[in-house]
Amino acid sequence: MRNMEQINRRNFVRRTTLSSASFFFTQSVHQGAEDTMASAGTYDIMQEVRKFQKIDSHAHVYFSADSPETQIDYADRMKIAKLVISRPMRPGSPGNPDEFRACNDLVLHCVRKYPDRFIGQMTLNPQFGKESMEEINRCIGEGMVGLKVYNHVKINDPLFYPVIEKFIDLKMIMLVHVGIGKSRIVLDKREPPNISLPSDFVEIATRYPEAMFQFAHLAGGEDWEDACKSLQHSKNVYVDVAGSNNDAGIVDFAVEYLGEDRVLFGCDNSFYQGVGHILAATLTDAQRTKIFFENYNQILRKSGRHVD
Amino acid sequence: MLIDCNAYIGHWPFRIRKYGSCAALLSRMNQFGVDLALVSSLSACFYKNTQTANQTLYDEIHSQRIFRDRFLLMAVINPIYGGWRDDLEICHRKFGIRGIKLYPKYHGYDPTGPECTELIKIARDRDLVIAFSLRMVDSRPSSWLDINEEWDLKDLIPVIRTVPHARYLIQNVSNRIDLEDGDSQVLRDASVLMDTSGRSITNLGFLIKTYGPGKFVFGTHSPVLDYCTGLLRIESLRQEEADETVREKIRSGNARQLFNL
Repeated sequence: MRNMEQINRRNFVRRTTLSSASFFFTQSVHQGAEDTMASAGTYDIMQEVRKFQKIDSHAHVYFSADSPETQIDYADRMKIAKLVISRPMRPGSPGNPDEFRACNDLVLHCVRKYPDRFIGQMTLNPQFGKESMEEINRCIGEGMVGLKVYNHVKINDPLFYPVIEKFIDLKMIMLVHVGIGKSRIVLDKREPPNISLPSDFVEIATRYPEAMFQFAHLAGGEDWEDACKSLQHSKNVYVDVAGSNNDAGIVDFAVEYLGEDRVLFGCDNSFYQGVGHILAATLTDAQRTKIFFENYNQILRKSGRHVD
Repeated sequence: MLIDCNAYIGHWPFRIRKYGSCAALLSRMNQFGVDLALVSSLSACFYKNTQTANQTLYDEIHSQRIFRDRFLLMAVINPIYGGWRDDLEICHRKFGIRGIKLYPKYHGYDPTGPECTELIKIARDRDLVIAFSLRMVDSRPSSWLDINEEWDLKDLIPVIRTVPHARYLIQNVSNRIDLEDGDSQVLRDASVLMDTSGRSITNLGFLIKTYGPGKFVFGTHSPVLDYCTGLLRIESLRQEEADETVREKIRSGNARQLFNL
């Protein structure tokens, strides 16, 4: 059946491309079609999707009626077993303790509802130092793993130091939003002044070499070449390749500059792109296994929260 | 069978594109089981005289049998540049193009203006497909020299209303895709197909239900976007969203109908 299907495809291509030919074509085109069709094999993309266990290192849940079931549905479709979910505070929001507690409560609720699918990640605002430290104790005590922050404070702001030191002790990673930044060389006008940029990660990673930082969503609209080149020597900064901009070069470039052990699979709600661009990248299956699952699981292992 | 209805060959001036040659694209096609690709010149986006880019691509495709057998050419026409009617004639009669690709934002013209309208009508009369991309690249990480404007789906409705009986292909469906009822009906009634490469195709099952199974074609937007995501949107459809007949339409059947293959 497969051979018949290939022969039919071959015949179709030959007829189709000959009908587009100019009067310059010769008989030799017939032979060309035979040779080239032999090379167009079959690729079962869903078999590839099923082949790899996955942890989505950058996922969210929302204050909406359809969440988290919508996220679970996409994860099922892409065979993503585990999602690391957070609900960071809206950019530009007051960012007060009531707000970050409510965000963390949402995450806790979702984890309790789907304990076999979600790993909960907390959020806070270091502008409220005492409350943030209390919140860390609460959330980690409830089983959350790691931190996700948006842009209330730059990651290398001294306000963050106590938080970072705490997460070093906890051996947990901190996922930090990155803006569009200097995509067009100058800082984008839409970005707030305290948005974290690659250079901020370099600075804080140098100050705290024992900490683990996760640079958010290389495919999320920032200049990913600039990011990877800036971060290449900051060995305690991981990058996730989540985001809607599935530019063809991102994953290969990240592996080239950061190494295969520092690149993390993530979707940030762009599930097709998250899986698709890792499948499309020039990687071995062993590298894909690392990026889809093992790299993040090694991070979780440091705090004893790894996935079996 | 897989027919990629959205691929490019050529140079992008702001970032290296690894798969921008015929040989490199063909290697992708072979790796991922794609039989045919409708290709246009990526470089032509930035040329005022697009015909030089069309000629370059035609020459590259015809430099080897293996390219001629697997690539079908779409020409980029700039309807506000001198000699464009002659360019179209050459592309149609000599190059054997299947359609034309238009870049109003890059070339600086109104897609509902008299020049573009005339071009679309001629293409319609010659049974050529007219293709637009809602965007070429994500403007956020792009160069300061690149354009900053992108389209929403609704922005192309006036074009379709102006020449309703042409055959359209909307590529890289990004940004907003919600339409008012009247515009939605225009999309349904006209011969308009959308490829699966764009980031706004988040729920293809719902879109098939909304617009029908004949409205979508497989596309990659290679070499700009990765080669697998457009295919993943199709192959991850559940049985209740799209049976094998519908999936095969999207993989190749709708493209065959659109391009008279």
